Order: sequence, then structure tokens, then C-alpha cells
Amino acid sequence: MFRRLLIANRGEIARRVIRACSKLGIESIAVYSEADRDAPFVAEADHAICIGPARAAQSYLDMEAILQAAAHTEAQAIHPGYGFLAENALFAQMVAQQRLAWVGPPARVIRLMGEKATAKDCMGAFGLPLIPGSDGVLTGLPQAVELADEMGYPVLLKADAGGGGRGMRRADRPEDLRAAWDAARGEALSAFGNGDLYLEKYLGDSRHIEFQILVDSWGNGVHFFERECSVQRRHQKLIEEAPSVALSDQVRNELGCKVAAAAAGVGYVGAGTVEFLFDRTTGRLHFMEMNTRLQVEHPVTEMITGYDLVEAQIRIAAGEKLWFTQDDIAINGHAIELRLNAEDTNDDFRPTPGTVEKFVIGEPDADLGTVRIDAAVTEGSRVSPYYDSLIAKIIGWGRDRDASIATCLAALEGMDVQGVSTTAPLHAQVLSADDFVEGDLRVGIIPGRPDLSDVVED
Amino acid sequence: MAKIYLQPIGRDTEAVIPAETYERQTGSMKEREQRFVEAREQVADGWGDKGRARVHRKGKMTTWERLELLKDDDAPLLPVGTLVNHGIEFGPRKQTSPGAGVVTAFTRVEQRWVMVIANDNTVASGSWWPLTPEKIIRAQEMARRLRIPVLYLVDCSGLFLPEQARTFPGQTGAGDIFKRNSLLSAEGVPQIAGVFGDCIAGGGYMPIISDKVYMTEIAYMVIAGAALIKGAKSQNMTSHGIGGADVHVGISGCADFRVPDDETCILAMRKEVAALPSSAVPYYRFGADAAPPRFDPEELTGILPADHRVAYDVREVIARLVDASLFWEFWPDTGKEIVTGIARISGLYVGILANHSGLIDDPDQPGAKKPSGILYRRGIAKLSAFSRACNDDGIPMIWMQDVSGFDIGPEAERHGLLGLGSSLIYSISTHVTPMATVLLRKASGAGYYAMAGMPYDPIIQWSTPATRLSVMEGRTLAIGAFNTKLDDEFNIVAETADERAKIATGMKGVEDRIEKDMDPIMSARQMDTDEVIFARELRQWLECYAEMSYQAHGWRRVKNPRIWSLHDLQILGED
Repeated sequence: MFRRLLIANRGEIARRVIRACSKLGIESIAVYSEADRDAPFVAEADHAICIGPARAAQSYLDMEAILQAAAHTEAQAIHPGYGFLAENALFAQMVAQQRLAWVGPPARVIRLMGEKATAKDCMGAFGLPLIPGSDGVLTGLPQAVELADEMGYPVLLKADAGGGGRGMRRADRPEDLRAAWDAARGEALSAFGNGDLYLEKYLGDSRHIEFQILVDSWGNGVHFFERECSVQRRHQKLIEEAPSVALSDQVRNELGCKVAAAAAGVGYVGAGTVEFLFDRTTGRLHFMEMNTRLQVEHPVTEMITGYDLVEAQIRIAAGEKLWFTQDDIAINGHAIELRLNAEDTNDDFRPTPGTVEKFVIGEPDADLGTVRIDAAVTEGSRVSPYYDSLIAKIIGWGRDRDASIATCLAALEGMDVQGVSTTAPLHAQVLSADDFVEGDLRVGIIPGRPDLSDVVED
Repeated sequence: MAKIYLQPIGRDTEAVIPAETYERQTGSMKEREQRFVEAREQVADGWGDKGRARVHRKGKMTTWERLELLKDDDAPLLPVGTLVNHGIEFGPRKQTSPGAGVVTAFTRVEQRWVMVIANDNTVASGSWWPLTPEKIIRAQEMARRLRIPVLYLVDCSGLFLPEQARTFPGQTGAGDIFKRNSLLSAEGVPQIAGVFGDCIAGGGYMPIISDKVYMTEIAYMVIAGAALIKGAKSQNMTSHGIGGADVHVGISGCADFRVPDDETCILAMRKEVAALPSSAVPYYRFGADAAPPRFDPEELTGILPADHRVAYDVREVIARLVDASLFWEFWPDTGKEIVTGIARISGLYVGILANHSGLIDDPDQPGAKKPSGILYRRGIAKLSAFSRACNDDGIPMIWMQDVSGFDIGPEAERHGLLGLGSSLIYSISTHVTPMATVLLRKASGAGYYAMAGMPYDPIIQWSTPATRLSVMEGRTLAIGAFNTKLDDEFNIVAETADERAKIATGMKGVEDRIEKDMDPIMSARQMDTDEVIFARELRQWLECYAEMSYQAHGWRRVKNPRIWSLHDLQILGED
């Protein structure tokens, strides 16, 4: 096992990795920007090294600075967390070139899954069901028109290099397609420097369901069932849960095994997530993309399976063979994660940086369930305006979904956070909404707050 | 520390040159490429529809059809010597010989790179023209140097007799092909032959030494065909009866297996390749996967100015050739007219030695600038030391030329450039690790030699449509030739207008002749270069070269990177 591991990230995920390191007896090394000097993760790490100013481009995204920090502190491995450099193939390649262990899949696989059309082809070849659409990137508008006519409207044009909804346009009628093409292409070019587009059937009424997988470097893959992340605002997940009410055990197990086999087949290593759209009309799942990193919402999976995914990531990066099999993994209860952001829900979710003067989360009755808090902050922490506004994840576990909801509500009820506004009021609204309680979820609709619905721009 | 510090290099094209410059340069390079696009099409067309129809009538596939079937679906077909004999007419009937009547190409079969030597059966039934033997010999030599299997697709009616005087005798006469067959065999390089049609005389000898010889039902191999026998012995018989599979597989044992048709023959040859040891490439990737450059090689069309007088940043060229655009530059602060360093291509380590272009600081005159693209003292030393380290460490080299020559003048002589240059020449002459050379633009004078030009046996030398290969630029040569008639400002000194005009015409003549000589089509047609490729095609060729250099195992030095001698040089350069 490694003696020292460097965490190329900040906030709650840095603290999460530090905890896994302590468990494994590894010294953790935090890198931080000047803005994070007083952050809890810096204090909690065994060693910490400042790598630059507040702007992420000069610190958390500065590959050379991070590699120098790794060399300077004699780290043997780098954990990228999520965001920042986690899905940067070049960085993964440079880390490997320096003979450092990369806690994640090889650069080749990151690149492969980063190109959405290629990823689709590849996963389709392993038998994962795909959203009907173009075979790879489109040659031009005429091809898009032809395909759209063939499979019927509405359709989505998506940037091959895209993500987060950028470079994506919907067309409901043939006459909309040209404008959608120009808009998507222009946006893709300016955002990603790559104007390649592909076409997909637009599944209006759908759920976002994703499978968690883990593959060791010996080609053994397992899955940890699914998470449902349909509650989103502007493509940002707000509430995630596991398992999903929409899947039968049979679908869950069959598709899970297929996903694990596909990931192992492409040479994936480590923890990854394969995202699907669940078509509510047909009840079918369609592969969307693969995220080649740990997800923000991994704790819900940990809570229902009892496995420590970050520990597993690190042990796999150190070359260990999987120490358990698929048969060992079972679902116990239900978990829901609330992403607590320092944002003002009354002011268009404007970030509210500031000092957290009080930070208390409620505790449910012991027989109801348990609450886990993965927080970036402690009392007295400053929430910086430079980075994303996630300050904590509240994960409520109960023996079933109702108990899990009740646990989360208890946590919110007893919550007392002062100094910054948070998204807690919205969470309370959602958790109490009938649609949510019934599990009647769909992407783009926030239960209890229809006014916040997402619409893919046409 | 025994680590290899590959660093990101390169910038987006917009950051390198203004968009309009990029567009303009792309346009002028494409314009230059057009002639070669057309020339390639002509060669691929052979003797046209008529030639193809004739082959199909006999129930055979054309050579290009066979190659398509032979190669792996995802493999490129990378031909060498495409333009040999291009535009030259032979014999009393003024016939052309596209590709010298033979296709010699690298491709992948069953995941292994091979050299395919295939007579073009649409060009005079695959007969041998002047330079056909040389082209075949060159291909055999490339394969021998890399220890990669040679596949012969034989379909050859013998020498093109009207020009026999230029193909039969001499050191590189057709007979040398059979000597190469023997050397390849003696050195354990696999040779597999498929005999597809009329194989008379030379065409008959070529397959026999191969490890495995396949014959289709309509193929025959004879020392002399039916026509000659009729003439010599007054006997009437068919060539097929004299030397078909019945005879050679059944009776003489000169071939091993009979197969019904072309298709089966090619499948059988693929199966033979599959039985060979697999490629050592994955083994030698030393902890990396193959990765494409971060910057698109297609952009080289606009990054590399076709006009040899326009400077560019060679690091931007390298960034578009190497894996993930990562490069470990060696000695960046000295001998700046030369760029040397280590990169990966297809995950495999290679050493790059390139001319820089444009002005550099003159280390001997603080504050002054001097042009690069010329070999000065430090640059020569850098090339020598770096190439010797690569040779020592078994790192295949890629030389990228854009060189006007050695520095000249009193200072150059006092610095001993003759000696330093000779040391470099000695080094490249004795290297045993593979070298490949690309003439990006200028390849002039002794600079062409000293940077592993063709006479120094690179595995392969590529030209581009912008290449200018000559002893010197036409203008320089004209000034040299008319030296006595010029004043110090290179103005013509003449008594009469008449005399002045005569000198001007003479100088123009010299310049024009050199300009014509420098045309890459000229080099390609007379085999002074192996292939003219477009800059944007270079990445694919380098992948092929790197993979071939590491494919066969056990024949050359390949060191684990931690024991490279380069590390010693790096440490010594640190202080």
C-alpha cells in the first residue's frame, strides 16, 4: 500500500479521501490554493502544500504545480476526487508517466469515454442499450434531417465533446432543426473547441438512473446497483437516492452485471458510473454516458451496501485484486442524499459566500435511521466565491424509502446553519412533495417546485 | 532520477498564427499537394480499366483488390516508392510503368506490420521495368532492417524485355532480389509467398526461397514459359502444364500448398502471419497506452508553411505528431538551432532531432540574432550527442530536416565544423538503432547528409510536397557559377548590354534547372526519396515506424528507460 497519497482536490471530497487514507494507514497530502488556507481539509490532512492563488486555473487545475507538489512531498499516488482534473486524460497520462499511481482509470479510457459518440459505439458493442440516434458524429445538417425524419421528432442535437447541457439543442419539428444545428454547433465550438454534433431521440419523460461499478486492474468488475438522480436543476443534481423505485430486481441485477462486464471489457479500472435515461413511457433504459471518476453522490451507494468506495478505489490503484465478489454485495435499506449548497433559493440560486457561523444538522431518532454528513465546512469556515457552492451532503439512511425520507426531514428540521444561505428550504419542499414521496420522478421537474423546471432550449 | 519528464507542448492554431495566415498556408500547401494527389491516383489506376478488365477476365483479382483483402480492416496501406518512374516512358511503344509495376507497402496483417511486395498485374502483367528491381530491393531491405515479415504477392510475366539492358545486369539488377530473398531467410525474417498467375523467370525465382509458397489453381512458375520453349525446343505445350500447381506442389516440391483462388490464397497467407510470434509493441510501451496528439495532425497543413522562406515553430509540428503532445526537450538552452527530445508515439519511446526555423540568439555575440536552419557548432554537438545516446539506449530516431547546410566562413572553419560534422557523420553511419528521416522542407548540402539523409541508411526517408532536396539553392549556385562576373553586391559586371543579358540568362538557367531538380516528384521518380507524403499524413507513418521498430523482439537493443544513458547526460547538464 502507498505510504503517501496526494489529493488533487478540495472541500468535502478532499476530506472524504483523507478519511479513507486514515483508515488504510496512508499519509494524506492536501494541496490547496491561497483561498483555502484555512479550510478544514487542509488542517485535517497529514501534510499540506500550497500550489497557487485562488483562481482554479492557477491552482487546482495547474497540472505541473500538482505534479511538483507530488514530487516534493514524495507522494506515490494521486486521487483526483471529482471535477477539476478528475476526467482530464492528459493529467492522467502525465501522472502515469511520472510513475505515480493514478486513482482512476487509464488515460486511454478517460479519453474514450470523454468522446460521447465513441463511448456510445463502444458501450453499444458490449450490449448496453443505446438511445436511438446517429451512428457517431454527424457529417452535416442534411444527415441530421434525414435521421430525424426517420426516427421522428423531437430530437436532441448534442456536442460530441459536451457536458452539463452545453452544446445541446432540442428540435420538435423539421423546420426547427437548422436553427438548433447552428446554435448547438456554435456553442460547442466556443465551449469545447470542437463542433462535432450527434443526434439523439429526445426522451421527454424520463428518469436519470446510473449504475455504480468497480473494476480492479485484473479485469474483475462488479456493480453496486443503481442510483436515481432525476431531481435536477439546470442539469445539476440536487437530490440522489439509492435504490431507484423504478427498477425491478431482475432489471437491476441483469443490467448491473452487463454494465460491470462492459466496463471491464473496455479496460476500465477503479470506480465509475454508467448513466442511463429511463424512458417512462416504455420502461426501457438507454445508455447516456460513463463518468470516469467517483461521483458526488457515491455515499448513497455506500450507505445501502456497506462498502467504502474510496477505500476500494485506493486499494485497486495499489494493484489489489477485488477482495469480494458480486454475490457479496446486497442492498440494505434506502438512502437519500441532499446536496446542501450555499445558495440563495429566493434569489435565483445566487451563491452566497461568507463565513459559516453555525453548522448543526439534525439527528433523527435512532430507530428511524441514521444521518451521515459529508461536509466541506465546519463552524467558522469561509465559503469562498471561487469554487462551487457545495458545502455539505446530507445522507439519510432508513430501512425503506419512507424511513429514509423521514430521516432526511429530521436532519433538516434540526438543522441550524448560519452565516450563509443554503438550499435547505428547497430540499424540505421537495421531500414533502407528493410526487417525491410517491417516487414519481422525472428529469427536469422538481417535485413541489414546478416553477423551477428545466426546459431544454429549442 | 530515472524519470522521463514528458511535458505538454503546443498551442491551439489560433495562438500560433493568425487565422488568415493559417488559411492562406493551408491553401498553398493543398495546392502543392494536388499534383501528388493526382499522381497517386494515376499510379493506383495502373493501366486503367482495360488492365483491370483483363485481370478479371482471367478470374483473378487486381493487385489493389488483393491488398485490400490481405490487410486488417482497420489497418492503413502505406506504400513506398509510389512515384518511381512517374511520367517516364519506356520501350519503342513509349509505355509508362505506374509505380514501376509493383506495389511495395507497409500494412498490418493479423495485428503485425508486414512489408507487402506485390506485382501490379494491371501494368504489363506485372513485369519488371527499369527500377522495378531497385524498388523491390529497397522494400526487402526495409523489412530486413526491421525484421518484419515480407509477403510476396507474385503475379509477374518476367522482365520487360525492350528495356532488359537496364534491368538485368549490374549490381542492382534483378538478380539482387534473389540475393535479398536469401539474406532475409538467412537472418530469420519470415517470407511468405502467394503465386497468383504467370510467374516466369524472375517471377518464378522470387517466391521459391520464401518459407511458405502458396499457388492458386491458375498460377504457374516456370524458368521459361511456353512461348520460349516453343522457340527453343519446338514443343507445343501450355505454361500452366509445364509449371502449375500439379507440378510444383505435387511433383517438384517447389511450392508448398495449392489453393483454389486468389481469395483463399490471401486467407491462407493471413493465417501464416497469425502463426508468427505476436508483436512486442504492447510489451515495450513501458506503462503507457497509445494516445493521439492533443492537437490534430491535420493542422500541419497550415502550420508548416509551404514557402521555404517563411519561419515556423518546429515544436508546434512536434506537438501535432507525438502522443498527447507530450515532449521531453533535451538541452533547450543550448544549440537552439536544433530541437532534440524524447516523446512517445503509439506509446513507444522515440527520439526526435529537428531543425528549428527562424531567428535565434547568437550565443557568441550577445544581443545579436542569427538564422537557424543552419548547423552551427553547438547544434552539431547536440545532434551527435543526442543521437549517440538514442543509439546507445535503443530509442528509434526521427530526424526532421529543414536545413540549408553547415555554417560557412572563417569562423566556421576556426570552430572546426569539418571535424564536428565528420563526427556526426561517423555517428549516424555507425548507428544500429533504427532511424527515419523526414525532409519537411529544405534538405540542402552537407546538412542533408549529416542529419541522416538517404545515403546514411535511414530505414525510410520521406519528402513532403514542400521539400527542396539539393546541394544548394539555385540562386546560391548561380552566384557561385558566375562569381567572376559579379561585384560584391552580386550585381552583374558587364561591358555591354548584350553581355549583361547573356550572363543574366545564364544565371536564370542555372536557377531554373536547380528548381526543377528540387521538385519532390523528381526525387521520388528516381528513388532519391522513399515516398512523398503530406505533413498531415506524417503522424500515421510515424506510428507505423515506431511500432515496426518495436515489433520483433530479440534482434536489437531496447533498454528499460530507467537505465538510459540519457539520464547521465541530463544530470551533467543540470549545473
